[in-house]
Amino acid sequence: MVFTIAREGTTKWLDKLLEAGEVIAPVRSPCGDVIFSALRSPAQVVWDFENPLHPPKRFVLPQTDPLVRIKLNGQRHEAEPLYDDAPRTLFNVRSCDVKGIAFLTRMHEAEPADASYLRRAHNLTIISLACTTPCPPGFCSCTDSGPFLSGGYDLQLTDLGGSFLVEVGSEKGEAAMAKAPGLFQKATEVEVAERKALEAAAKTRFGPETCHFGSAMRRISTGRVQDALWEKMGDWCLECGGCNFVCPTCYCFSVKDLGRDGTWVRCRMWDSCQYAAFTLEASGHNPREHRKERMKRRFFHKVSAQYYTRDGLVGCVGCGRCIKTCLGTTHMPAVVAAIRKGKWHE
Amino acid sequence: MNDVFLPDIACLEKVRDETPDTKTFTLRFRDQPNGNHFHFLPGQFLELSVFGCGEAPFCIASSPTRPGTFETTVRRTGQLTDQLHRLGNGDEVGIRGPFGNGFDVQAARGKDMLFVAGGIGLPPLRSLIWNVLDERDRFGKVTILYGARTPADLVYKHELAEWGKRSDVELLVTVDVAQHDWKGNVGVVPILFQKVTLHPESTLAYVCGPPIMIRFVVRDLLTRGFKEAAVISTLERMMQCGIGKCNHCAIGHRYVCRDGPVFNYRQIAELVE
Repeated sequence: MVFTIAREGTTKWLDKLLEAGEVIAPVRSPCGDVIFSALRSPAQVVWDFENPLHPPKRFVLPQTDPLVRIKLNGQRHEAEPLYDDAPRTLFNVRSCDVKGIAFLTRMHEAEPADASYLRRAHNLTIISLACTTPCPPGFCSCTDSGPFLSGGYDLQLTDLGGSFLVEVGSEKGEAAMAKAPGLFQKATEVEVAERKALEAAAKTRFGPETCHFGSAMRRISTGRVQDALWEKMGDWCLECGGCNFVCPTCYCFSVKDLGRDGTWVRCRMWDSCQYAAFTLEASGHNPREHRKERMKRRFFHKVSAQYYTRDGLVGCVGCGRCIKTCLGTTHMPAVVAAIRKGKWHE
Repeated sequence: MNDVFLPDIACLEKVRDETPDTKTFTLRFRDQPNGNHFHFLPGQFLELSVFGCGEAPFCIASSPTRPGTFETTVRRTGQLTDQLHRLGNGDEVGIRGPFGNGFDVQAARGKDMLFVAGGIGLPPLRSLIWNVLDERDRFGKVTILYGARTPADLVYKHELAEWGKRSDVELLVTVDVAQHDWKGNVGVVPILFQKVTLHPESTLAYVCGPPIMIRFVVRDLLTRGFKEAAVISTLERMMQCGIGKCNHCAIGHRYVCRDGPVFNYRQIAELVE
């Protein structure tokens, strides 16, 4: 079913959503950047924005994610699992980020299922805003994750000017609409046609970034990327881990105990496969000591056919955040192009 | 849905010094002391927590044929193992697991068993060795070749003496360097191959030790006619979650913690990324 909501109606709707729980939306930070943050009032929501540098990943997979509380009572340790069951709504997230969360959920659902993540994801309602203008570094058309989605969202909004088209993707989406009945009307054929026209127009307005995964996948999966090329690309990597932390699909983690004096919280923390210590063993042996090996690992995980077969998705949603963050230019489109051409750009 | 990160509490029942930097810890689950819920195969591993310090993977060094308690042998080499070495009888640790595939004991029935271990590589094989010895009539000839840097670095000295005395076990020990009072073999592990008679067609070879030792031992075994699938090793990687999620132990799209840590040499040769 497809509905519309008037632009002024969204304030009332957001008020209702805020009553039901936390609402995460793009807001303008005091410094002027647009970031995803918990909303205090509907007026904060930014409707026309380039996707923030940090994806909303942290609201479903926090950078420091408490898993188990361990308490020492006298001589006795007690461990209890920690869950975050708070209802949350992601509002106005972009198509690529919806796909990113779908990727994370698929990975955490794989046996053995990760209850900590899944309970948080279960209570998350995703209301996405389709991209009528693709963002400059985006190449989501290469990864089937935008500019409009055909599924994966709970609700997808399309900005029609005076109103928003609302596509329903799930029961959670229906429930989010039911919080403010009366605001939504059935969409007319004209409005649906307008959405289709907007999607078609958006697809013609992409920037110059492209990412031909096919041939890169073929070469990476069969080990036909020359070692010298990995080495050259590794030389350009600054080992900052930025690409991992801004990536909507990166989820590698370490487990650490935080706290002291008999009360600890075991936390899952984001880690980066580009760090030398990621594979360092206590013995001092490090199977991926060199940057080239780590770079190879990152792109094997993201682009290889072996992982594609397992996950059904490439580990890239075409958001272009790695392009923005990587000072060494070893981002997804550059590396994929280098693998395809057998040559680094220099 | 079970919580995959929730550890069970276990108590240290006994701590035994093996070498100046290695101890064997005997553990019993605090809340299920008979350990009936804990089923494992030799070669599987645990995530052991020292609370406040974190979690690290260790192989189970005891045999599933001896239930109730279980053992792990740990060298003091980092922060967590340092803390673990400070614990004593009655102290509590967290246990998750068992994880990994383990050795296929059923498939090894009727075969001759060759164990080749170096240094701290003996503990994962010890689990299988005791499993084989406890069901001795189900297996063929048992040969154990073990080497360490110095006589002081040999683990399970007590058990080495016991295996040495048994008529149904052939045990050869060597050390890289030794003082004059050492009466045994001196040299790296592969020199022991000259002193035993091997039947590659009926034997499974289990190899565990430092990477350099594994490389030379495997090369020797293959030149002596062992098939790649008959040379079995257990790999070590930094494993944090134990369930193939955290990606620390990934080799290509395989995970040492889930698809391994036990691989035969043919599988190892295919592990490329």
